[in-house]
Parts: sequence; C-alpha cells; structure tokens
Amino acid sequence: MNAQWSRFAPLLIKQTPWLVMMLLFIVGFITSLLRFSSFDLNLSDAWALLVSFNPDSLSQQILLTLRLPRSLGAMLIGANLAVAGVLMQGLTRNALASPSILGITSGAACFMALSSIGVVFLASLNSVLVAALGGLLGGGLVMVLGGFFSQSAHPLRLVLAGIAISALLVGVTRASVILADDMAYSVIAWLAGSISSLDWSQFAQLWPFSLVALAIAFVMAGKMNLLALGEEVATGLGVNIKHVRVLVCLSIILLTAVSVAIAGPIAFVGLLIPHIARKIVGVEHQVLIPCSALLGASLLLWADALSRSIAFPSETPVGVITALIGSPCFILLALRSKLS
Amino acid sequence: MKSLLLSMFSLPACGFIKAQKPWRLSLLIGLIVTVAIVSLFVGAAQLSLIDVVHTLFSGEESTSKELDFIINQYRLPRLFLAIGVGAGLGLSGALVQGVIRNPLASPDLMGISTGAGLAATSLLLFYPQAPLYFLPLAALFGGISAALMVMAAAYFNQPTPARLALIGIAISAFLASGIDFLMVVKPLEINTAMVWLTGSLWGRNWQEVPYIYVSLMLIIPFAFYLAWRLDVMGLGVESATSLGVSVNKMQLLALMTAVVLASISVSICGTISFVGLLAPHLARLLFSHQHKWLLPGAALIGALLVLVSDLLARGLQPPMELPAGVLTSLIGAPYFIFLLYRYKGW
Repeated sequence: MNAQWSRFAPLLIKQTPWLVMMLLFIVGFITSLLRFSSFDLNLSDAWALLVSFNPDSLSQQILLTLRLPRSLGAMLIGANLAVAGVLMQGLTRNALASPSILGITSGAACFMALSSIGVVFLASLNSVLVAALGGLLGGGLVMVLGGFFSQSAHPLRLVLAGIAISALLVGVTRASVILADDMAYSVIAWLAGSISSLDWSQFAQLWPFSLVALAIAFVMAGKMNLLALGEEVATGLGVNIKHVRVLVCLSIILLTAVSVAIAGPIAFVGLLIPHIARKIVGVEHQVLIPCSALLGASLLLWADALSRSIAFPSETPVGVITALIGSPCFILLALRSKLS
Repeated sequence: MKSLLLSMFSLPACGFIKAQKPWRLSLLIGLIVTVAIVSLFVGAAQLSLIDVVHTLFSGEESTSKELDFIINQYRLPRLFLAIGVGAGLGLSGALVQGVIRNPLASPDLMGISTGAGLAATSLLLFYPQAPLYFLPLAALFGGISAALMVMAAAYFNQPTPARLALIGIAISAFLASGIDFLMVVKPLEINTAMVWLTGSLWGRNWQEVPYIYVSLMLIIPFAFYLAWRLDVMGLGVESATSLGVSVNKMQLLALMTAVVLASISVSICGTISFVGLLAPHLARLLFSHQHKWLLPGAALIGALLVLVSDLLARGLQPPMELPAGVLTSLIGAPYFIFLLYRYKGW
C-alpha cells in the first residue's frame, strides 16, 4: 500500500493541474446543463437520458432538445476561441493578439450582419463561409495596416490598428442592422455574443468545422514551437514557414468564423485563456493547445451558467459575461511592460 | 546657410498663414451656419423654404402646430445641441492633446467618455425619476473617475504615448462592457440604447441646451487663459517653469477642464467617438500649433463634425435614424489608422 502510494504520489502531483482543470470542466458542464433553469432539472434526469431515454418525460425532452446542444455548443465555441487565441499569439508573437482584438471577430460579425440584411452576393452563401470571408477581410486589413508585413513593425501598432478597424467594422455592423430593421433590439444581444438559441441544427454546423480546425491546430503544434524561435531558426530547422503560416491562418479563420456564425462575436476568451494556460503548463504548443481548449471550454460553460443566473429568469448574452471577466485582464496586459 | 535659407522661405510663409487664420476661422463659422441651415430642411418631413422661414420668424400663433413642432421643438434644439456638443468634444480633445503631448490621446481613447457614459446610464436605469440636472453631474463623476484610473495607471507605469492610448482603450473596453451589461439586463427602447452605446442626438430637446452652453460659456474664457501656457509647456518642463508656468498645476487644471467638457457632452449625446481625436488634428492642419488659434479651431471643427454626422444620420434614409456616433467612427477610425501609420515614437 505504502510502496504503491509513493510510486503514484509524484505522478499525481505532476498531474494535479490537469485534474483540477478536468474537474472544473466537468462541474462546469453539469452546471451549464442542469442549473438555473426555469424548469426543475436534476442529475438523475441527465442519467436517465443517457441510459434509458423516455420520450414522454418532459425534463428529458428539455435536456435533449434545449440544454444538451447548448452546453455542447458552449464547450466547442469556448475551445475554438481559446485555441484561435493561442495560435494568433504564437503566429504574431504578440501577447495582445486575439481574434477579437485583431479584427477577425468583428469582420466576421460585420459580414454576417450584411448577409442577414440581404447584401446581394453575401446573402446566397453559407453563413460559416460568410463569416470566414469577413474574418479574413478584417484580419487581413489589420495585418496590412498594422504593418505586420513590414520590417520594423512595432507590436503596439498592430494592436491599435486592430482596435481601430474593429471600431470601424462595429460601426458598419450597427448601421446596417439599424437601417434594415427598426426592431433591432435582439441584434444588440446578438452583437454582444449569445448562445441562448443554440439548437441541434446549429450544432451540426458547428462541430465538423470545429473538429477540422482544431485538428489542424494540433498537427501544427510542433511547427508552432519552432516558429516561436524566430523565422531564421525555424527555416534552418527545416520548417516551411509559408506553409505553416497559411495552415495556421486557415485554422484561426475557421475557428473564429464558425464560432461567430453560431454565437455572435464573443470577446476576450481568445485573449484571456492563452495567458492563463501558459502560466499553468508553459509555452510548448503540444500541451498549451489542449490545455487552452479545456480552459476555454470551461470558461464558456461557466459563463453560460452565469449568464442565466445573473438576472434570472431573463438571460444575459454570454459575451457580456466574458467581456466583464476578460476586460480587466486586458487592462493588466496593457499595463505590463513587455508585449512580446 | 541652410538654416538661413529656411528662415528666409518660412518667414513670409508664417506671415501668410498668420494673416489667413482669422479668415479660416470665419470660413469655418460660415460652413457651420450653412450646414445648420441645411439641416433645418433635412428629415422625415419635407419642408419648403417658406414654411421654414415663416415658422422661424413669426409668432407661435400664426403657424401650424405641426410645423412649429418639427422646426422649433425638434430640429432647432438638435442643431444647437450638435454644435455645442461638438465644440465641447473638440475643445476637450485639443486640451488633452495639448497637456499630454500625445497625438493619439483624446477623451474617448482615454476612457473619459465611456466612464461618463457608464455613470449616466446607471443613473438612468437605477434612478429613472432623477431630475435632469443629475445626469451631467453623474456623467462628470464617471468621467473624473475614469480619468483618475487612467492617470493612476500612467503614474505607476510611465507609458509611452502609444501604450497610454492602449491603456485608455483597455479601461474604456472594461467600462463599455459595463454599459453593455446594463443595456441587456434592463432593456431600453432601441434608440435610447443606441444613444448610450454609440452616441446619438435622438430625442434631445431644449431642456439639454442650457447645460452644454452654460458650461461652454464658463470654460471657453478659461481655455484661452490656458492657451499660451499650453504653448510654453510644449517647450519642455524646464523652459515652462523658468517662464513662470507652474507645470503640474497647469496640467491638472487643463485635464480637469477637458474632463468636464467631455463628460457634459457625453451626458447629452452619449459616447460620440473619435470627434475628440479628429478635431484637434484637423485644427492643427489649418491653424498650426499656437493654442490661441488651435483651441477655437478645434471647437469649431468638432461642432462641424457632429453637425454633419447628425445631418447624415437623420437624412440618409429619412424615417429611420442612424446613431451619429456610427458615422463619426466611420470617418474617425480610418484617420486613427493613418495617424498610427505616420506615428514614429514607438
């Protein structure tokens, strides 16, 4: 007994952060699934849903059609945004980079709004594709105007350019929405990022893209480590930089676009989570990416639970919750002296 | 030799600009008056010249109720408010940039506008029966708190100008998420919500006019008192001190003036963004660096900007109304990027 314990103890201590994160994730999932509902749900309903589904039970039906897609969606969207943040910070080597700060989220949201008011060419496309085009445009504009491709670019310039472009795109989004529809209040909720109406059909749109993009991210993890050493070293170690960058950008755009297409622009997850994950597991992308995915999923699950509890029984958009949590972190990051 | 040549060429040029400055100011005033007159005709109801002139200059009894309402109660106060608020924001921006010597600074990029907006929104939502004069006071409180937050951060952090802008943006992102939160928890009517989210002059009337004009009347003489001191401060702290300006006191005074102006403007029209950034820059193009010209120039350009955006906001698709703040950010954001492009002090 004692000998066995001494063999397991170091392993256990080494894995403690992961265990805690898993626990946080599982409790978050259950909370998001069951708690703060206007209809009383409990764990036994969820268990019954798994082992012996009874289509006549009201609570099981609610769980299956309303709660389960929502919780699973929150999980995937959180993971998507967090991994997109890790990839962007690795790619630009800029501590403040994230989909929402570098204009990808607002670009995607802007194109979604334009397509929903029926701008000719956008209205006929699939919503994920529309969001991806918007994200590409927003992110591309920020990269070009922020001087990412020039030799002597300052990391702050990229960030400030991103913020300005986001302000511009948010302006266009709001203007188009208001011009199209005077009952635009629901749009304010969507523009803040909301997952309250996520159902199975949306989830079916969400998971294939997410899994593909997450898989690309995992495959690229090793190359991202080499890229972090600097372009010249990476080239010297046999990395095809252009190839890696294109794939990583594709993954970032897909991850962000599919999240925005389903849930609207949810801010600050991609900024906050990579920094926490780096504190816990270090900078190696092979562990950083899974860790961020797990933490991002937990954050959004908890934020979803909070979004229902905070003004129960009415719902707060989940993006407002993440902004309230994430923007103090943005202030701290802005205050810190080193940027990259 | 080179410097002699330079001075030979630049001296007459200076004189030329000096002679032109009053003309440029009066040109701006002329533009404002023209746009103001045009804006009386723009809106959901089509009015003829005779209607407008008749309603404006004859007594209340002789005109129809409807016309009287559209012109005297709706368009006229909005026009005055747009001019006042724009002047306040422009002047405030010029003062902030003059004190901090930072081309990227402005009341909205430093969180002052958002702080004032958050305080005003909280007052409206939690204490809706409050008398109207509470609103500017609450906004003032919010603006000063936000400015103190940014100043504390700047004091401990000693940031470069660009980083100061970033800190201000981060703080205003935090405060803006507070506004978003309030809007969602306690839904307002869409146009009212848009006032506090992006800035708009929707639904404002004569009631608000005295607040902005009284504060402008009080502050404009004071701004001129500050003008040459701000010029001297541009020479550096030591030169300014030896020329008899107590730098710290002056900086604090000018900043507080700017905060007061911006907060009162925000309490009326919400957070109309980028006017405080854009107006002083455009004024510097027209009037060069002397504050005694720069300050009135920035005020007039700010007034013109808000007036034109409000005109477009009402006139683009008549029964529908855009928030004016959206239009100013459409002009302001590209200009901010242009500034970043030129800025060399990283």
